[in-house]
Amino acid sequence: MSDHIQDEIIEQFQGLEWLEKYELLISFARELEPMHEQFMTEEYAISGCQSKVWIRTHIENGKLIIHLDSEAMITKGIIYLLMKVMNNRSPQEIVDLDLYFIEETGLKSNLSPARADGLASIIKRIREVAEMEIN
Amino acid sequence: MTDLRDDFPILKNKIYGQRLVYLDNAATSQKPSSVIDSISDFYKYDNSNIHRGVHYLSELSSDLYEEARKKVSTFIGSSDPSEITFTAGTTDSINQVAFSLKSTLMGNEVLISGMEHHSNIVPWQLAGAKIKTIPMDEDCNLLLDSMEITDKTKLIAISHVSNVLGTVNDIKRITEIAADHDIPVLVDAAQSIQHLPLDVEKIGCDFLAASGHKMYASSGIGILYTNNRYSDIMPARGGGGMIDKVTFEGSTYLSPPLRYEAGTPNISGAISVGAAIDYMQNIGLDKIREHEHDVYSYAKERLLDTDGITVYGNNEDMCGSISFNIENIHHYDLGLILDKMGIAVRTGHHCAQPLMELLGTEGTVRASFALYNTKEDIDILMDGIEKARMMFS
Ligand SMILES: Cc1ncc(COP(=O)(O)O)c(C=O)c1O
Repeated sequence: MSDHIQDEIIEQFQGLEWLEKYELLISFARELEPMHEQFMTEEYAISGCQSKVWIRTHIENGKLIIHLDSEAMITKGIIYLLMKVMNNRSPQEIVDLDLYFIEETGLKSNLSPARADGLASIIKRIREVAEMEIN
Repeated sequence: MTDLRDDFPILKNKIYGQRLVYLDNAATSQKPSSVIDSISDFYKYDNSNIHRGVHYLSELSSDLYEEARKKVSTFIGSSDPSEITFTAGTTDSINQVAFSLKSTLMGNEVLISGMEHHSNIVPWQLAGAKIKTIPMDEDCNLLLDSMEITDKTKLIAISHVSNVLGTVNDIKRITEIAADHDIPVLVDAAQSIQHLPLDVEKIGCDFLAASGHKMYASSGIGILYTNNRYSDIMPARGGGGMIDKVTFEGSTYLSPPLRYEAGTPNISGAISVGAAIDYMQNIGLDKIREHEHDVYSYAKERLLDTDGITVYGNNEDMCGSISFNIENIHHYDLGLILDKMGIAVRTGHHCAQPLMELLGTEGTVRASFALYNTKEDIDILMDGIEKARMMFS
């Protein structure tokens, strides 16, 4: 199933060299709305990431609103994309969502469990939250 | 020494289409062809279990294994090969000592430095000892005059060279102080055996631990030197190959070193350590030291010249690793960007979380060197750092 937000991202990354991809991610990172410092604590942290990542979520009109932040810029750029793709969907939609943009942008190598980046742990956490909302 | 790169097949590979600049040697070193061949030759021509059979191959492999033990013993200045046990690595060596000394350590204290790798912290905690540290100054140099030894101090366990900072600790002075109090000293040589000449008899340590994979040999093989004074400590493992006689009432053990090598050991690994020692000795340890010193000094000088950089630790005597952070660039971002330029560095806490806390950082970028690194590698690293700074400006 394709969705236009992911397709648009894939297009933006098309044909870019690695460093250009990172430059793009850094520019996204600069647009990310920062999380309030009071939430940058262990309580909101996702473990398994080499750069710290924090997550806060709430439900608004039946949609899951996800807010992520990190201390590293490249991670921030990736979570900016995740938020763009995953936000404003129902918990069920999030559980069902195929995040094909990660593979097709070539960012997948940052997703492998061996990477300390822990993008996989972030996605896992979001899915867990969504599942909890469903039940 | 530039041609040494040619001895290491992996260094010929292109990473993202670029020359591989491998600066993660403190994590593991690459292997020269002679070491790789020693492993494949063993399986092609010599493989058999050791110390068991009467047949031709069994004798051959036993001889090769024991020859490797002799090479290690000479390499680290022990006059008796039975003081050398092959283990699985530094971590395993330290855990074995912790197990053997457990009854002494339980409820007492082990004195370490603040710059230890987790492998030289956790085994002592598992043995029931409390960790005490030797104070350091702001440059991360040990203040040995302020070292506190009490009735409860049962062991000093100290890294020869820090895997994060590259600081060389004055082991000789530590063993002298320890001897006055009759306390044994364990040296974690994981980051020194490949860079500095070692002489356990001169140093006067009781135990010394090292890893094959950081000294150009295979992974899964380690070294434990145990001074003969301790030749009757409890073996950490029991099983085949280490016993004299077994009955259901109790067993008696062989003498060291076999007593400490239960089960079939990593035979090809041990042989690869012997081959790695031959490789280093053929180049010449002094030549290696001199070359690495040049590269290290050059790296330090260039790094210190960089705006907004913090280089951690400062000592006259440093080798192997150098750790830093660049203002406003997260270490993880820098690591990822350098990677895409074919430069392999390590980022994070380097298994030394207590040290990170002392340094007041979550992690660092670490460049660590081996005999095949050159000033050209450092130039490429510096260009990479500059490029990253532009991306973040
Ligand atoms: C100082 C030090 N001690 C111990 C170790 C653990 O070595 P190994 O993982 O080979 O057991 C390392 C490896 O990084 C180290 O640098």
